[in-house]
Amino acid sequence: MWPIKFISSSIGKKIIMAVSGLLLILFLCTHALGNAAIFVSSHAFQTYANALHSLPVVVLLFGLGLLVILLFHIGFGINLFLQNRAAGGNRYAINTRVVKNSFASKTMPYTGLLILLFIIIHVFGFNNGPADMEVSQLVKEYLSNFFYSLFYIFSFCALALHLSHGFWSMLQTFGINHPRYNNGIAKLTLIVPAFFLVFFGAIALYFMSGLGASY
Amino acid sequence: MSDIDLNLQIWRQKKSDSPGAFETYALDKISTEMSFLEMLDVLNEKLTKQGLDPVAFDHDCREGICGMCGTVVNGVAHGPEKEVTLCQLHMRNFKDGDTLVIEPFRSRAFPIRKDLLIDRSAFDRIIQSGGYVSVNTGGTPDGNAIPIPAQTAELAMDAAACIGCGACVASCPNGAAMLFTSAKVSQLCLLPQGQTERKQRALDMVATMDKEGFGNCTNERECEAVCPKSISIRNIARLNREYLMAALSEG
Ligand code: HEM
Ligand code: FES
Repeated sequence: MWPIKFISSSIGKKIIMAVSGLLLILFLCTHALGNAAIFVSSHAFQTYANALHSLPVVVLLFGLGLLVILLFHIGFGINLFLQNRAAGGNRYAINTRVVKNSFASKTMPYTGLLILLFIIIHVFGFNNGPADMEVSQLVKEYLSNFFYSLFYIFSFCALALHLSHGFWSMLQTFGINHPRYNNGIAKLTLIVPAFFLVFFGAIALYFMSGLGASY
Repeated sequence: MSDIDLNLQIWRQKKSDSPGAFETYALDKISTEMSFLEMLDVLNEKLTKQGLDPVAFDHDCREGICGMCGTVVNGVAHGPEKEVTLCQLHMRNFKDGDTLVIEPFRSRAFPIRKDLLIDRSAFDRIIQSGGYVSVNTGGTPDGNAIPIPAQTAELAMDAAACIGCGACVASCPNGAAMLFTSAKVSQLCLLPQGQTERKQRALDMVATMDKEGFGNCTNERECEAVCPKSISIRNIARLNREYLMAALSEG
């Protein structure tokens, strides 16, 4: 069966990582777009949330889809990490990295696991709030807590670091590497993670700083 | 011209299955005009005169074209100078009193035969599984009978510059052989003669690469940085495309 052979091969696994990574990035884009309503007003955000949840089937399907994508990304990521540790690992008395700025690429599995921890806490938190509280109030309730917000911002830093290697790596995995586009790709590899960090970080800061107290 | 004194720490191992360890040697008055291998020759002469076993290391052409030489010097494959093989690395890159830690190219797929000498036949098996053209492409064609754009020919030549030394594998944090395999796939898939077997080649060579026990690429770029022939990871991107296209239609 060719699909089985494909996903068992080294390049096939990489392509699964890249496709699932791309889908996760696209999800983050829609998530950011929806959350932008927070900056309008609590009313706008609640209206958006209500509109979304008036379509329970869509929410369920997207949620399950996202879960499957995430499981693929995590499963293959951990598999690659373990295989590579066995094939490479620390095998020299002196390990020198010639490439500068290799911190993000070296820490992919760890930043990934931090994101996973965040996702678990984030999803659990917003699905288990007090029954009588609307989600627009719940956001304020949670993020006004200094340490809760700090944890969010810390996690967004991990996400930014993950993408500062991941975005370029994904395109390389797809075979997109051409002198005409490489400068643009290098710029996007800074802009995309920075955007998510600034945007999601701003939501946390908004409530953390008290600015959003009466949003 | 000047002379430098060096402190060498060299990996010594009797044979594949014996345990190895570092040995320390002091080497005085090494001319900075010497190549790295000549420096090792001086050491070996000294060891032989003392009745000790000389350090085994691979080499052949000593002019940077055969791909036989190579060790890891202070953690860097082929040493500190960019775009040179170990035989073309000169001692002027080092300072008086330097300590050089010299280790073999390490990979699960490259067993150590003795000291710094490794067995790279895993590379040969990757080539044997598809790195050739076996269909009849006719006799010697007239010059320019098959037009090939100059840019394409240059890309194929750039890939064909790979001498198969194994520095890419040695430097890869994952011990992956993607730069080597991608260069060998690229040099053929870019040219008309390579088209007939194009897809099967990509599938077979990647399958052999995986079977030999190399790691998976995570785009760390160390291979490109140490490659003595400056093989670009653009070739790896090309291999990813080749493999995906082949797997979707003929995999
Ligand atoms: C919203 C969350 C996430 C996004 C947007 C994301 C995105 C990406 C992208 C774009 C890549 C590059 C793929 C490639 O190199 O071709 C990547 C690689 C990776 N991700 Fe994630 N990721 C996320 C969450 C996670 C999680 C939860 C883990 C948990 C372990 C993880 C582990 C990894 C690992 C280990 C790699 C490196 C794989 C390799 O290069 O072989 N990621 N990620
Ligand atoms: S001995 Fe031939 S490349 Fe170094």
